Amino acid sequence: MSLEQELKTEQVTHLDLTGFCMVASGTAVQDTLNAMRQHNVNVCIVTAGEHLAGIFTDRDVLGRVATHNDLLTQPIDTVMTPAPITVGPETSAAAALWLMDAKGIRNLPVVDEDGRILGVMTHQAVIHYLAARYPIEVQNRSPHPEQFPRKPEGGD
Amino acid sequence: MTTETLPLTRQDFVSNQTVRWCPGCGDYSILAQVQKTMPDIGFAREDIVFISGIGCSSRFPYYMNTYGIHSIHGRAPTLASGLAIARPDLSIWVVTGDGDGLSIGGNHMIHAIRRNINLNILLFNNRIYGLTKGQYSPTSRHGMVTKSSPMGSVEQPLNPIALALASEATFVARSIDAHTQHLGEVLLEAAHHVGTSFVEIYQNCVIFNPNEWIGLDDRRLRDENILYLKHGEPMIFGKNHDKGIRLNGFMPEVVQLGNGVSEDDLLVHDETSMQLAFIISSMEFPHFPAPMGVIRRVQKQTYTEGLMEQVKAAQAKKGVGDLYELYTSADLWTVTERETVKGKQTGALSLELDDEYMDEMEQKPEETTAMQDQLITPIATLQPRAPVSIDAAASLAKAIRQMNAHRVGCLLVTDKDDRLVGIFTEKDVLMRVVGLVDDLTAVPVANYMTPNPIALTTSLPIAQALYEMSIHGFRHVPLVDDDGRPEGIISFRDVVRRLKQNFN
Repeated sequence: MSLEQELKTEQVTHLDLTGFCMVASGTAVQDTLNAMRQHNVNVCIVTAGEHLAGIFTDRDVLGRVATHNDLLTQPIDTVMTPAPITVGPETSAAAALWLMDAKGIRNLPVVDEDGRILGVMTHQAVIHYLAARYPIEVQNRSPHPEQFPRKPEGGD
Repeated sequence: MTTETLPLTRQDFVSNQTVRWCPGCGDYSILAQVQKTMPDIGFAREDIVFISGIGCSSRFPYYMNTYGIHSIHGRAPTLASGLAIARPDLSIWVVTGDGDGLSIGGNHMIHAIRRNINLNILLFNNRIYGLTKGQYSPTSRHGMVTKSSPMGSVEQPLNPIALALASEATFVARSIDAHTQHLGEVLLEAAHHVGTSFVEIYQNCVIFNPNEWIGLDDRRLRDENILYLKHGEPMIFGKNHDKGIRLNGFMPEVVQLGNGVSEDDLLVHDETSMQLAFIISSMEFPHFPAPMGVIRRVQKQTYTEGLMEQVKAAQAKKGVGDLYELYTSADLWTVTERETVKGKQTGALSLELDDEYMDEMEQKPEETTAMQDQLITPIATLQPRAPVSIDAAASLAKAIRQMNAHRVGCLLVTDKDDRLVGIFTEKDVLMRVVGLVDDLTAVPVANYMTPNPIALTTSLPIAQALYEMSIHGFRHVPLVDDDGRPEGIISFRDVVRRLKQNFN
């Protein structure tokens, strides 16, 4: 099966969708930053109850918050992207990836039909997928990229 | 005394040695995960030791920038035992394979485990002798055709997990080279366990046994075929979490959830149950999903703790002893020198062996898919964008202004000779700058960048860029010319464009 077919048959929920953290709507920007730092993630989902209210990423930090320290005490709702583009759990990985590319986004929340948050598809999840899918080419590389042995068994 | 105060990173554990494994060997992936896990285990670099025996996997200590011993065939557990008793403050890792650890070193292995010496034993299981070029090992399947079993192995393979359990191991776990996140988590759990941690790692021998883990190492199939064990949780598996393990008498069985079978009917994993651990160890893929994760974990006194208690008690009673006095109290005699016998070495044998495996080397390369071909094309074919650079002395405020003006998430930081000295990304802004720096105009970007970033040249394959992104969690990889000057930058988005072009 080609990668194209694979990515079409693979659902987004088969990827690792855990690379994000969550805060409730109304949380201060400073506390949101702290949560992202604690979880070491680039993406934060802002929730209203069980539902998605918005998304806040490192790009928003750079563009909207970095030079405005006065915003830190404001609620996250003032700087997040409200009602972001989402996909359902049945969406194929390929469709999700092309959607991300077309919309110029790197993080795509996955929600069920009742709008509950199932996870966030990130570029990092696709990178891990490709690495694990092609371990011989990608994962099992030498830590020294300039090194290329002349014999298939690694000797020279 | 700890000499390093800065938090360690994966790069601190990469040694300067040339890695000599076959390209595509699963050992690379394990090495990368071990190097990635080391900063998190809570030990200073000088308190970590890697000890190996003989075999492909046993080259490991060379590649770790820690203390290490490439020791005697099968005897890594013995050296490690001695060290663990003399220096209980160290984090000691034994790296061995199915040949080194279960053939010649089988006895050392079981006794180290049974004594519960504070070691982390990583057993790379590729079910073949790789270094000696393709003979069957103690874990090779019955009937497996190898160089030394042309009509199929007539031996029954060892079950390493069951062997460790029979040796009363206090920590037994399993993972696989290709599932890097899972492997990383298991390594961390092993590191935190006090006592012997035994980890079996399914590992791919790309040259001599490349098809051993089909169904488990394949990203498309693995979630269908691996049972991820979690303490206290029912044994559910499958890509869609729709299958489970139920106990029927003494026998485990695979059941489909639904149609009257609910989660309540399933076995619940219990890391403290020896009986359950043996049942899990008996579940062999493909008859069952391959169980992965922590199989058994209990706390017991370590050998060193028990021994030191006795030493203390004896010293309290008899006082501190004198080793020299003890040594000279026995009968002593002098050994006289004898004439040495000279050996005969022609070197002819090794040439014959070389011929024998030449056919292996001359095999036609496997057919590759279009995607695999794409992955090995040079990065240059992605037509990388020109980078946005900034001088190291520029202020943070200027850096952030530039990123926003150029709408980029990543700046390459250069010195006065225009050489790449660091990288500054939006993640750095998130993690280290916002709300933490009072005056952005007062501090240079150099204080907040990642110094000495990983940079590639455009002649390297795209796969290398994906590798760096996957290992380090980067989204951008800077490109430099031979003099270390920034030439371009690629992001994962460029790779996505390539995939898309390919498909349409």
